[in-house]
Amino acid sequence: MFLFRRRPSNLPEPVSRYLDAPRPDPALPWRDAPYSVIDVETTGLNPRRDALLAVGMVDIDEGRIRMDRRWYTLVRPPDDAPVNPEAIRVHGLLPQDVEHAPPLDEVIPAVLQRLTGRVLVVHVADVDIGFLRQAMRRLYGVEPRGPAIDTARLAWHFQRHQRLIEGSGSEQEPALQLRALAESAGLPVFPEHNAFNDALTTAQLFLAQVSMFEAHGMPRLRDLLRAGGCLR
Amino acid sequence: MEEIVRFLLEHPPFSQLPLLQIQRIASAVQIEYFGQGVQILTQGGKPASFLYLIRRGSVDLLRERNGVVEVTDTLSVGECFGYVSLIQGKPPISTVRAREATLCYLIPAALFHQLRRDYPSFAQFFARSITDRLEQALQQRHATAAPELFQTRLRDLITEPLVTVSPDTPVREAARRMREAQASALIVDLPPYGLLDAGSGIVTDRDLRNRVVAEGLDYNTPIAQVMSAPAITVPADCLVFEGLLKMIEHGVHHLPLSDGGQIIGVVSYRDFLRLQSHNPLLMPQRLVRAHSDADLRAYTEQVTATVGGLLDAGARVSDIGRAVAAAHDALLVHIIRDAEAALGPPPCPYAWLVLGSEGRYEQTLRTDQDNALIYADNAPEGAEAYFEALAERVVEQLVRCGFPRCPGNVMATNPQWRQPRSVWQNYFRQWISVPNEEALLQTAIFFDLRPVYGTLDTEASLRPIILRARDNRVFLGRLARAALRQTAPINFFRQLVLERRGDQRGVIDLKYRGTAMIVDLARLFALEAGVPDTNTIARLRKSANHSSLSETSAEELIAAFELIGLLRLRWQYQQLRQGLEPSNQVEVDKLTPLERRELKEALRAVAVAQRAVAVTFQTSLIA
Repeated sequence: MFLFRRRPSNLPEPVSRYLDAPRPDPALPWRDAPYSVIDVETTGLNPRRDALLAVGMVDIDEGRIRMDRRWYTLVRPPDDAPVNPEAIRVHGLLPQDVEHAPPLDEVIPAVLQRLTGRVLVVHVADVDIGFLRQAMRRLYGVEPRGPAIDTARLAWHFQRHQRLIEGSGSEQEPALQLRALAESAGLPVFPEHNAFNDALTTAQLFLAQVSMFEAHGMPRLRDLLRAGGCLR
Repeated sequence: MEEIVRFLLEHPPFSQLPLLQIQRIASAVQIEYFGQGVQILTQGGKPASFLYLIRRGSVDLLRERNGVVEVTDTLSVGECFGYVSLIQGKPPISTVRAREATLCYLIPAALFHQLRRDYPSFAQFFARSITDRLEQALQQRHATAAPELFQTRLRDLITEPLVTVSPDTPVREAARRMREAQASALIVDLPPYGLLDAGSGIVTDRDLRNRVVAEGLDYNTPIAQVMSAPAITVPADCLVFEGLLKMIEHGVHHLPLSDGGQIIGVVSYRDFLRLQSHNPLLMPQRLVRAHSDADLRAYTEQVTATVGGLLDAGARVSDIGRAVAAAHDALLVHIIRDAEAALGPPPCPYAWLVLGSEGRYEQTLRTDQDNALIYADNAPEGAEAYFEALAERVVEQLVRCGFPRCPGNVMATNPQWRQPRSVWQNYFRQWISVPNEEALLQTAIFFDLRPVYGTLDTEASLRPIILRARDNRVFLGRLARAALRQTAPINFFRQLVLERRGDQRGVIDLKYRGTAMIVDLARLFALEAGVPDTNTIARLRKSANHSSLSETSAEELIAAFELIGLLRLRWQYQQLRQGLEPSNQVEVDKLTPLERRELKEALRAVAVAQRAVAVTFQTSLIA
């Protein structure tokens, strides 16, 4: 159905390349698919009203997180969406920090270039993909595309699975916060609310979750998408 | 990023590099996560293309030689592997396998080689360890293995020739044969000769002295009249330690060894002494000569010291428990006999009961007393006063020997727990028919009773009532629910769930959230299967396949019980050595990676068994 949607003309090259790239084959063993993990910092939680302030990304190739392929950028918010004093307490970014950062129409093509042909991985898709979607719609009238995996959804998948096995009375409250999940998987936790650190924590959580599948044989990309897919 | 830099700064050889280089490494590493059991490198396989630095978890190095795979080393956080293969450009000389879920930082080969070129100290760090690090590790493991007691088979201790006589041999003739052969014991063999059977007896030096000379028997008396039969024997291939336990349990000094139904020789207490002259396990001996309080106190101290010796020697906790039970029982009997000597003979049959861990043969370090007294119904006038006085004396003496009074007052000095048989029977019936909180608490203590002294047949009086509880579904369900009150502290990622609050932070209680959970499960399964034993391992072993417990699950629980028990005991002993009060709260970071992994596996086995119990007994449905 994507093909029938009218695509705006005059898209920047990275954007059209992103939209045209073949999707990773779901039948691939999970390790053979390339992934990009993304996390954003924003002025608030509402993609329609709030602005992007920073983007952190890190790639996973052959099942390994590539620190040499990490990326972090601040984003200059539009003049009509100043940095909300409430959110400063969360991400610690001040107006002057982002004053000279590249604006959204420079950042988004760069993000899409990095995402081209890769599986997107996020923690809580509503926020991260929501902001990406809002920016892409506004700038180019296009939508982000899958495949994409939500580690919160994967966590929920495992927790539900565990509850099914255990019946009720499980001691664990379903907690889907990134930090709590990373800690319960025995992962090192980086200082939170920095887009790059959170992307890295998400990437490590993702690998830990995949290893849960590996206990039952090598999963394919399809298996991960079934359990944690979040975007068509 | 900063996190990786910080980690590198803490671990040699990276910590010796300039900060700029460390930042360079941090921005070049790749991060990989290996699930438990994943093979990271393969001996003789593809050469490594990274240096692996362990960030979380641990790995085993395995080496195959002549078809035998051996764990040569275990590496944990901050340690590296893969460098031998990287430096030589050859296939790995060891297989590396994740012991537990493990997170590694991978440093690309090119960067590793460049760092070795540029920083001699970095190069040296890896060069030095290549040579024979693996060999060293292997040798170390062998060197720390258990000493003689746990490696020698009983058959290797035989020094005396086997002397066998027929039952009608006159004692004088038998003594002559012993002198000729310089043997301290002889086997009296009934037809069919040469076969070990109920008629096979043993006569020792001591028997000749005590039963012949001291009694003034005619030297032509047939030897069969003074022999001990049937002789207590052990298989010749048992470990020396097991033989020692058997001797202690039965209070004998000679053990005939059997092999394929034949007695092939006799080992004596002296043979053990020769092997382990300093081993204090031969303690009940000392009791015979113990008269003063100080003697008794010294004896209990010695038992505690022995536990340490056994631990160091690699004994299983269950064996230690049995040895300690034998030693403490001997002490208890000694104390009760003293009391009887002072108070006069008991007015009616009675029995002294030990409860809880002592009742299960699972006491390792001295703990609070848990005891009770049962006496015959229709006791004569004054019996109650007699047993009160007896209980006071015994409990008091135990306190002097270092066994504190029970804070819950579960002791024979408490009139509630010093009752005639019919009252005890009613107690049990009441607990089973009205299984409220209080009753469940009592069953956890009193179902594990064991008589240590006395002539009243406790087992015949009480055990049938206990075992009849298996027909009471409500009671079983309640017991199951009580057994699940504590859940195994392990989560879905197989990580330990630690206390997070206050001074309990980072600790795990290896009793309440460890051994006690297995004890409770075993009590439940034993009841379900109608097994009368009190020992947890015996309960599990005997109720497998006769209850909802499968054989595999039983084996896993037994292994888990031994392991958690061992960790707990080692921890407590270490505290004792440091002059601290032993506690069950183990600080998890003080465990080695190996111990931590084993603990996780053990707790996982418990979690699996608990889930099965929850399903079988529908514990969530019982209000």
